[in-house]
Formats: sequence, structure tokens, C-alpha cells
Amino acid sequence: MERFSFLHTKVVSLMTFKHVAIFLLLLGIVLLYLNINPNEVDFLPKCPLYFTTGLYCPGCGSQRATHQLLNLNFLGVVQQNLLYVLGFVIFTYHIVILGLNRFLNKTYYNYIYHPKTPIALLLVIIAFWIFRNIPTYPFNLLAPQ
Amino acid sequence: MEQPQPKNYLVEAILITIFCCQPFGIVGIVFSSQVNSKYAVGDYEGALQASKEAKKWTKWGFITGLVAGILFLLIYGAIFFFAYQSGEFNDF
Repeated sequence: MERFSFLHTKVVSLMTFKHVAIFLLLLGIVLLYLNINPNEVDFLPKCPLYFTTGLYCPGCGSQRATHQLLNLNFLGVVQQNLLYVLGFVIFTYHIVILGLNRFLNKTYYNYIYHPKTPIALLLVIIAFWIFRNIPTYPFNLLAPQ
Repeated sequence: MEQPQPKNYLVEAILITIFCCQPFGIVGIVFSSQVNSKYAVGDYEGALQASKEAKKWTKWGFITGLVAGILFLLIYGAIFFFAYQSGEFNDF
């Protein structure tokens, strides 16, 4: 065990470096999207699908939604991208179940692993994709602004 | 012996779909659906294989998004820099 202590320190320092890098990247992203409205600047990446075809993809509006979320304007999030809300809910659910099962030794069933869940989500995403490209009311409410 | 279900990367694939790269994300979701369905009928090897595929697609989606974002910032940074150099902003 003593022999490997050097190796162990090296792995630990590598891990902390990686974690610090991820933390700084996340902090940078949060500060960027907190202060900058993607509608007002043009140096943020554009959706390649929208840029080339003028069609909205399922993720269009998520940068604007991030800006709205960080500014706690929840109606704005819904207006930009409804799927963002679903993604956020699923992400939170997954993290909470994982955390409870791992740290509190619970055995809650995680519906992410149910055979029907991915298919249902795929259908939701594709339906959302089609609906938000229909340029009439009420479907145009789903399009980003 | 009961094998644990392989990780299906569904959440990662959905986040990839929403935040950057729909093609990668959607292929990832299809493979994560295979992980669940194959495991449910007892095909552990097939589920493991689908899990690896799902991981591959979400990973490449993430890398593509990261590289695209960085490239975009670099290109605009360069444009701004050269505009500044050539006196574009001298009026301000």
C-alpha cells in the first residue's frame, strides 16, 4: 500500500485538476449566459439546421432558455423551448434517484431504465420537432422567439 | 446470477439533443432504448453492446458541441481582433 501512495497522490491531483477545470468551465458558462442575452449578440454558436434550412430543431432556443432560466424568468424558458423544461425535469429526477440510492442506500426504481421510457421520449421529441415548425397558431407558440 | 442493467446514457443523450447535436443525441436515445429493451428480455450481451454504442454517440455529440462552441468563439474573436487592428473602432 505504501508503495502506491505516490501513484495515489498523482491520481488525486489529476482528479482535482479535472474537477477544477470543469468547475471553471461551468462557472464561465453560467456567467456568460447570465449576463448575455443570445438574442442581442451574434458571437454565440447558431443552430446549423436553422442556419441552413430555416427549420427549427428540437434544441433551438435552448441558449436563450438558459439565459432566461439564469435570470429566473421561468415564463421566458417555456416560451423559448418547452423541451428544455422536460430535459431539466428528467435530469433532476435522474440525479435525485441516483443520489438517494447511492448515499441513503434506498432502492427506488429509476424509470430511466424502463423499456418504454426512451421510445416515449423519442416520440415526444420528434412530435415537438414537427409541431414547432408549423407556422400557425397554436403551434407557433412552440417556436423560439 | 442476476446481472445489473448496463448504463443506458438516456439522460446524457437527451441533454445532447437539447443543447447541441440532434443527430448524435437521437441515435444515442435509440441505442439507450435498445439497452432497456434487450435487458428486459434477458439479452445481457446485447444490452451491453447497445450501452457501449450509446456511450460512443453521446460522447461524440458532446465533443462536437464543445469543439463547435470553441471554434465559434475563436472565429468571432479573430474577426473582432482584426477589425480592431484595422481601426474599425477608432470612431468610438
